[in-house]
Amino acid sequence: MMPGEVKQPVGQVVATEQRPSTPHQFHFWTSRESPIGIGAIVRVDADGRIVFGVVTDGFAYSDLGSPIHAVIAADGDPAGPEEPTRRTEIRLYSAAVLRQMPEEPVQPVPLGPVRMAEDADVAIALRMDAYVSGERPTGVPVGVYATGGLEAPVYLDADFLLGPEAAHLNITGVSGLATKTSAVEFLLASLFQKFPVHKGSIAALCFNVKGPDLCFLDRPGELGDEDRRLYARLDLDPKPFDKVRYYAPYKPDGVNLNTLRTNEALAANTEPLLWGLREVLDYAEVVLNRDDVDAKADAFIDFLAERVVGKDFEDPTLPRRFRVRSFADLDEFFRAIFHVLEEAGRGGEVWRTHHIATIRKIRNRLGNISTRAKGLVTDDGEVNDLPWGSFEDRGLYVVDVAGLDPLAQDLVFARIVSRLREHLERRDLGVDHIVVFVDELNKYAPGDGPETYVRKMLLDISERGRYLGLVLFSAQQFRSQVQRRVVGNSGTMILGRMDGEELSLPGYSTMSPATRARLAALPKGELLIRHPHFTQPVFVRFPRPAVLSGREGVERFPPRPEVAFGEAVARRLRALDPALAAGRILEIIAGRREDDVRRALHATIRARPDQPLPFFQRCLGREVPPETVRQQAAVQPIRTSRDPY
Amino acid sequence: MSRASATESGRETFGAAAFSELRRRLATVPGVVPATADPPASHGRADEARIVPAELIEPPPLRAQAVGPPSSWPGPVAFLDGTQRHEVVAYAGPMPLVAAEVAAAVRERVGRQARTVHSRRRQLLIGRPEALALAADALPGVQTVALAADEPPHPLRDLELARAAVDRARGELELLAGDAYRRTAGHWLVVDGSLAESPAWAADPRMLGIAKSHASLPFGGTEMVTYLHLPAGHRSSVFRPSSRRQAPVYAWGLRLWDWTGKDLFFGLIRVEAAPTEETLRMADSISRWLLAERSPLSADPRWDRLLYGIHGVEEYLRSGGGSRNGQRVDEK
Repeated sequence: MMPGEVKQPVGQVVATEQRPSTPHQFHFWTSRESPIGIGAIVRVDADGRIVFGVVTDGFAYSDLGSPIHAVIAADGDPAGPEEPTRRTEIRLYSAAVLRQMPEEPVQPVPLGPVRMAEDADVAIALRMDAYVSGERPTGVPVGVYATGGLEAPVYLDADFLLGPEAAHLNITGVSGLATKTSAVEFLLASLFQKFPVHKGSIAALCFNVKGPDLCFLDRPGELGDEDRRLYARLDLDPKPFDKVRYYAPYKPDGVNLNTLRTNEALAANTEPLLWGLREVLDYAEVVLNRDDVDAKADAFIDFLAERVVGKDFEDPTLPRRFRVRSFADLDEFFRAIFHVLEEAGRGGEVWRTHHIATIRKIRNRLGNISTRAKGLVTDDGEVNDLPWGSFEDRGLYVVDVAGLDPLAQDLVFARIVSRLREHLERRDLGVDHIVVFVDELNKYAPGDGPETYVRKMLLDISERGRYLGLVLFSAQQFRSQVQRRVVGNSGTMILGRMDGEELSLPGYSTMSPATRARLAALPKGELLIRHPHFTQPVFVRFPRPAVLSGREGVERFPPRPEVAFGEAVARRLRALDPALAAGRILEIIAGRREDDVRRALHATIRARPDQPLPFFQRCLGREVPPETVRQQAAVQPIRTSRDPY
Repeated sequence: MSRASATESGRETFGAAAFSELRRRLATVPGVVPATADPPASHGRADEARIVPAELIEPPPLRAQAVGPPSSWPGPVAFLDGTQRHEVVAYAGPMPLVAAEVAAAVRERVGRQARTVHSRRRQLLIGRPEALALAADALPGVQTVALAADEPPHPLRDLELARAAVDRARGELELLAGDAYRRTAGHWLVVDGSLAESPAWAADPRMLGIAKSHASLPFGGTEMVTYLHLPAGHRSSVFRPSSRRQAPVYAWGLRLWDWTGKDLFFGLIRVEAAPTEETLRMADSISRWLLAERSPLSADPRWDRLLYGIHGVEEYLRSGGGSRNGQRVDEK
């Protein structure tokens, strides 16, 4: 269908020998008053052909022969009287071709009138007509193309955003201008509302890596009239996410959560992320540096994972049977091995074919985890994890790792993403598609530096995730500092306000100087989007996310200060049952060992019983009163006269 | 793309394409040989240097008088100019066939913004009647101008006659454009050149002629020195050029730019206006207005004398404005 002609021309195509039209670029002039600007979409109608283009550069010049002529004309006085005649001046624009109709034969753009694009033109120019309408539409609103009073919705193709055709999204933008986080929050909301039913279920998992950015996605934010209008234009409901679950590790005390989301009003869907030895051991490779990764270390870790952890282990050289369930148990196991080897003296350097140096290294590294990730990793064997196998459709899972040591952050990324992949391969995650959002990608998948497990894992997702339904939404301040293949595999690229130095790098040289200049000064809420269907990147405007921003959230729900052990336990239990009296809980745990209380608390949180307090008490067990051992009188030796000594 | 190359490109569009088409069509005519020649005077007239004494209207002696600071005319002002170009496109025996394109336009300035309000363009084929008759079948619909055939053909003389015919054609077109504007608006109309083309123009109280050429000087002796040494921002006394018998006008010299260290004629224009008391009364204010018109400067080698408004008309016509490739076609 050829779209009909509509608006009055705003320009005319010009082509000269020095500046000819090509099949992919053309130039046109406009009046000075024209609403055309960088990023505007225009159409040319001529010779039975319609050409859609996006303005990439603009030029203006007058018929002034030399600047000195202006000085002469003004008698050297810049404040002199206004020239009686306005100089002839040209507004000349360059446009990159988005689409030609008919598509064949591919020909240079003809001379003809240039018009501003309308709604229908934008859809055709960006080839959205192929996926926005029809029996099985896959359009997901990403914003509006706004120029010259026109606001046309722009859609991404879910098949190319979440697979299987292409997948992944990468966002670049400077920090602090609400580009990256806001864009992802809005896009996730749009995805959850408009993800086509025929493509199945979808959930998202976000890693909150800094501050309170993603801590209030379940709380409505304040929107202005302009934002509401944009939501209406995009046919989206401005509302916060309604199925959000937060996971955060504990602080080293094991009872206060290590997150800014500690306000009591937010406790209902905030739970601890707590892993035990088994959860860590499977991903021990993450915490080993390159020098550590050798066959010997691998063999010993495999031995521990397969033969020791979680099993009854016996060895004739060891004094007893071991059942290792926690880091504490493991350390006891290691100490027993070292004791045996020390007792053996000379030649006692190998235990069950593993050299003592390898065993010491693995003990050191694993011990390091429990120290550096204290709060995430528990010694007592109780764990609380993501709901593997029962992810909800349109569920949003936020893992707050902002307060974690970098090593522990790596561990969290590696284990969670690996588990997602495993479940998606088995098709038992609970949803068909999962979007994983990772900010600060330059930190986790840097372009240089040593190969890490996390970088390999992110690369693997970007290259193969789309076949599984595992989709990476990533963001960073400097795209140039990220592993090229990770960003290169992103089918959709979004650029927000950019740093000028970054824009001067060769990676951005395909953009016109004007586009780069606009990116360097892009206002909040505007983005440049490249999508497989769009021949050229387009600027779009999107509304504020309908959720509380991190800064607003912290003001409205100030984090509770870290509290004493007893009060923290009471608060965690009251999150399960607000009717519980804090005094009663303090009474129950008074005088009890903190480790016992912690173990009982974790078991209660994990079980989420209907009656938390009785369950907690049962886990805590009866109090064993301390006993004082009386010193018994020593038995005197029997003296005999026949003793020769 | 530089501005200069854009302008050059515009000129090519103006002449070459149309003339080449004529050559192609004439190549099919028996007895006619296509040719290429760009006569030396193709772009304008070469006036003959002479002194034609004028009659002083303001009290003698001829004086240089300061006109005061530049002051632009507050209302709408229109500018009129014409362009011409001709080339030999073929020879029928010794007789040249000359193709010409003449154009004229009026651009009106309102609130600093100039817009074309009238434009006319013609393509002509000029030659002796015998040559035109030979080409007639190949060039149906092309407007022809027959040269006088009372003397035997001579290629150089015929070329000179053709050039004069082009001059006349351009002048006629300018008159048509000016008259058309005058029928629709009563604003000041500034014409490039003399007002003597038309008695009506010469008598029009709202028309000015701006002559940049000084081949014909109105004074000799010490008066010539006074006239040619006018300081910047000064005008001469008003005089009546004696060469304008058919259409008498008042005129005065006006120095737009300081000529010291440059050519004697640098920045010197001759202003022509209706021969009325009103003109005498307004000579200073008109001069102040024209001084204001020095700015913006025209991007042209004649910038010291070429008012930007006139330059704008020239550029419009050279770029093909009013042609079939431009915005309007008034006549062919």
